[in-house]
Amino acid sequence: MLQVEQLETGYGKKQVLFGLSLEVRQGETVAIIGPNGAGKSTALKAICGLIRPWKGEIRFEGELLNGSSPAKNIRRGITFAPQGNRVFPDLTVMENLEIGGYHLPKKELRSRIEYVVAMFPLLRERPKQAAGKLSGGEQQMVALGRALIPKPKLLMLDEPSLGLSPGIVKDVFERIRTISRETGTSILIVEQKVNEVLAISNRVYSLKLGRVFFTGTPDTLIHDKTRMKELFL
Amino acid sequence: MALSPQYFINSLLAASTWALIGVSFALIFRVGKFFHFAHGMVFTIGAYSTFMFVDRLDMPLLAAIPAGVVSSMIFGVIIESAVYRPLRQRGSRPLVLLLASLGIYIVLQNAISCLFGDDTKSIRFARVAEGIDILGARITPVQIFTVGASVILMLLVAVLLRKTTFGRAIRAIANDQELATISGVATNGVFFWTFAFGSALAGIAGILVALDVDITPGMGMNALLMGIVAAIIGGMGRILGVAFGALLLGMAQHIGVIWLPTQWQNAIAFIILVVFLLFRPEGFFGRRPGKVAV
Repeated sequence: MLQVEQLETGYGKKQVLFGLSLEVRQGETVAIIGPNGAGKSTALKAICGLIRPWKGEIRFEGELLNGSSPAKNIRRGITFAPQGNRVFPDLTVMENLEIGGYHLPKKELRSRIEYVVAMFPLLRERPKQAAGKLSGGEQQMVALGRALIPKPKLLMLDEPSLGLSPGIVKDVFERIRTISRETGTSILIVEQKVNEVLAISNRVYSLKLGRVFFTGTPDTLIHDKTRMKELFL
Repeated sequence: MALSPQYFINSLLAASTWALIGVSFALIFRVGKFFHFAHGMVFTIGAYSTFMFVDRLDMPLLAAIPAGVVSSMIFGVIIESAVYRPLRQRGSRPLVLLLASLGIYIVLQNAISCLFGDDTKSIRFARVAEGIDILGARITPVQIFTVGASVILMLLVAVLLRKTTFGRAIRAIANDQELATISGVATNGVFFWTFAFGSALAGIAGILVALDVDITPGMGMNALLMGIVAAIIGGMGRILGVAFGALLLGMAQHIGVIWLPTQWQNAIAFIILVVFLLFRPEGFFGRRPGKVAV
């Protein structure tokens, strides 16, 4: 479904990715782990279209995405919830969700919102509340909900557990597992909480200095203590 | 001198145009996060193009006014598309955009001076009317029209921001432009239409002023500064706040001159601005700004 081949990109003159290759298949949950500065977030930003690839290819369902805008990629079925569970703080919960379906016809938008709200009933309780006034866990739900509105084929999440209290973190991963099971959406997720993310993933890529350092199933990684240590050194 | 109702009428009248400029300036500021000084010239272009259509091309006023508004829109949109957008895409900081904006302002003002001369021009269509008597104050029909048009347009902006997809996109970009882009908002399109709409409002303000008093190539700067002061007093994000700020500013200026000589009018405005910047930079109704980059 998604194929990234020898991707090189960065910010300004600073190169971050040096030939990254990865793949996500239909219905899979794929984790990207690795130390800070490995290029995990950059990879997601490049796939969603926020930054342009310098070299290499990004293909989605066979179509070349290089240089395509986020708006176009959303229409193709790729959505992205960036790091920090960002919401539009001055917009209401409902408006945040509506922005997620900016390109959708009104009727379809309504039914998509209905679908997402049914999945996260908490969002129904205070639809007119400014999103900036919600708790961290609630904002996470809004951010996730917003990315689900366009009915993505591939949902990309950048550290959905960041800054949340340990009790809520468990809910977040449970929620992601539910999304995968109920919608069949492929998920590409960047996380620092390695054990938690491996528990919900089918495959894992570990990145180091802008390249894939290891790839395989979570099981092989969890049992390979020496490699686990190596990853974060 | 007594505090007659005339002072309130005069304040209201001044506030009407300042509020329009202030709101349209704030709209563009919220989306672009920089001071679009050339907005003052978009205001002037509204007045001068209407003058041109009436005086030079002999168009009827009722046709010249919409043509004037469209002229302002076109200039605003050209400035955005030809100057700001390329700068933005190169990653230029707000300061660079501000300097570009000042440059555009100067070029356009000189262009108008060259084309029309520096002397005052007029499109006042009627004889100077004596005005209607309201509680001992005089107000002309044009002035009533100005106040009414301003109120209606402000309400229109408020509805636009709250109730439409376009308004929601403007507010989303104001909050977090990157997240808006990621969410699929066509940011360049929203910038384009924000400039089109904001410039139309500024053009209308320019024309309303021109219907009441004489015009000069330099008319835009004072109006823009008053609009900006009104927007800052009211809190950049709030339509009602800007209207309130404009009214407060109008009253301070027009009632202040009961005790102070008239040349102090602008000084009063800027003293109020400084007081707000020092003690309440978020304005009356605004939230404290996260980071305001000039």
